[in-house]
Amino acid sequence: MSLLTAAAHVLGLSPNTFVVTVGMAAVGMAAGVVGCFSVLRRRALVGDAAAHATLPGVAIAFAITGSRGLPVLLLGAALSAVASLGVLVLLRRFTRTREDAATAIVIGVSFGVGVALISGLVARGVPGSGGLERFLLGSTASLSTADATMLVVVSLVAMALVAAFTKEATLVSFDPGFAAAAGWPVWWIDFALVALTAVMVVVGLPAAGAVLVTALVVIPPVAARQWTDRVGVMLVLAGLFGLAASLLGVALSATIPGLATGPMVVLAASAIFTVSLLLAPKRGLLAIAMRARQPLSLPLERAQP
Amino acid sequence: MSAPPLLELHDVTVAYHGRPVLWHVDLAVQSPCLFGIIGPNGAGKSTLIKAALGIVPLVEGWVHFWGKPLDQVRGRVGYVPQRESVDWDFPVRAIDVVLMGTYHRLGWLRRVGRAEREFAQACLDRVGMADFATRQIGRLSGGQQQRVFLARALAQQAEIYFLDEPLAGVDAQSQQQIFRVLSELRDEGKLVLIVHHDLRTAASWFDRVALVDMRLVAAGPTADVLSRENLARTYSGHHEVLDELGRAVEAGRRTP
Repeated sequence: MSLLTAAAHVLGLSPNTFVVTVGMAAVGMAAGVVGCFSVLRRRALVGDAAAHATLPGVAIAFAITGSRGLPVLLLGAALSAVASLGVLVLLRRFTRTREDAATAIVIGVSFGVGVALISGLVARGVPGSGGLERFLLGSTASLSTADATMLVVVSLVAMALVAAFTKEATLVSFDPGFAAAAGWPVWWIDFALVALTAVMVVVGLPAAGAVLVTALVVIPPVAARQWTDRVGVMLVLAGLFGLAASLLGVALSATIPGLATGPMVVLAASAIFTVSLLLAPKRGLLAIAMRARQPLSLPLERAQP
Repeated sequence: MSAPPLLELHDVTVAYHGRPVLWHVDLAVQSPCLFGIIGPNGAGKSTLIKAALGIVPLVEGWVHFWGKPLDQVRGRVGYVPQRESVDWDFPVRAIDVVLMGTYHRLGWLRRVGRAEREFAQACLDRVGMADFATRQIGRLSGGQQQRVFLARALAQQAEIYFLDEPLAGVDAQSQQQIFRVLSELRDEGKLVLIVHHDLRTAASWFDRVALVDMRLVAAGPTADVLSRENLARTYSGHHEVLDELGRAVEAGRRTP
């Protein structure tokens, strides 16, 4: 008996369920870690644009290859996510469209194209096309052991990259002007951070779907920020929150028949966020309200020698 | 052959979205001093130092440090950006910001160690901020934030410093402290270039100044450059500062 089946047996799960669960935990964790820098760099919506833009890629990859295999479909998703980010860059560079408007346009257009393509394939009765709809709202039901292993590997690599380059990513996110003056390749570091976010959005598709996967990238970091004033701690907390949200969501949708995974993951993440918003020690609403009741005891802002 | 200037800008022209904001600036600084870059709002003062530091691309011209392009001497050039340019709610403490000044020497992948931490603490001490090392930067006053930025520049251990409005919106005590450190740097033989908008203090603080209004109006020793004619040329069309201008010229005369 392999280690894997042994571990699954101890938990009372089938080996496949066990591997899928580990996969979702790893994806949720890595999405939270990578998402920290997209939140700190104020690019929270860029991940959302990439997420919505995965749909046309999934549909086109399926139409060309006829394959329902996850690696093929995710490769298509990644290519169209990258293409959408390219469009975003071009819109900003060669037109006077503002960043928020450009992002909204990319989200809307790519999502519309994706839904049109998928419903077109379904309407024509192309065999297997019905399964594409799981990319909309997420579903772990059809994940194979090999699929889940791939998600784990990508997640681990993403987290290792963030751990290795935390210093550089923090510098560029906090003060890009200073970083550029000191000779750091700001454009490339930014590009790497956005690309990493796009990758996490793609591997997060089975967990939460194109519409909601951004919640895994944005909500855990924002919740983590409530509890700490240090980037390193924020990365760890966001990873744990993402892991918890992903596992809770997947478990809920497995327990209650007919519920897609994505909405459950979002609900779990929002619960963590709400608690953080209210109860965090310094930045929580409760702590702020307590401080407001005793204004004289807080000489924080006074200039000192 | 004489040594090349510490800093030389030749025919520097910068444009944003095809619209020029700085025209044909020629400027050379031969020796260490406190050098003020003065001009009205929107005159391209910040753009001038960003161009010198390679943060914004040049349409024309070049910039040399000690006769060499910037890429060969990055480690010897320090920078203090405008305080408004960063998010002060960012999850870093004062000491973390100062440590960023050591990143260039560390290079890729290497992490800060004990030596860097001790050095960063010493830099905070020099600007009078030693007691605030572990405070999140958003919970510092504006003057304290500016001093943390200055400490980060000190941690760069540079020989030429560019500072963008280091004295804007800063309390009197921080202003004194910042000015003292900048004077010390000058006395140690370093060149300190400061973007500054307040004419009243410019006359007494800087050894040399450049007047900028989308082009270089005049540059040289402060007393020569801050003349009534030069100021009128720089601030033509900026009627709101004419009052201030009169007082500034008077103040300039009184300075020995």
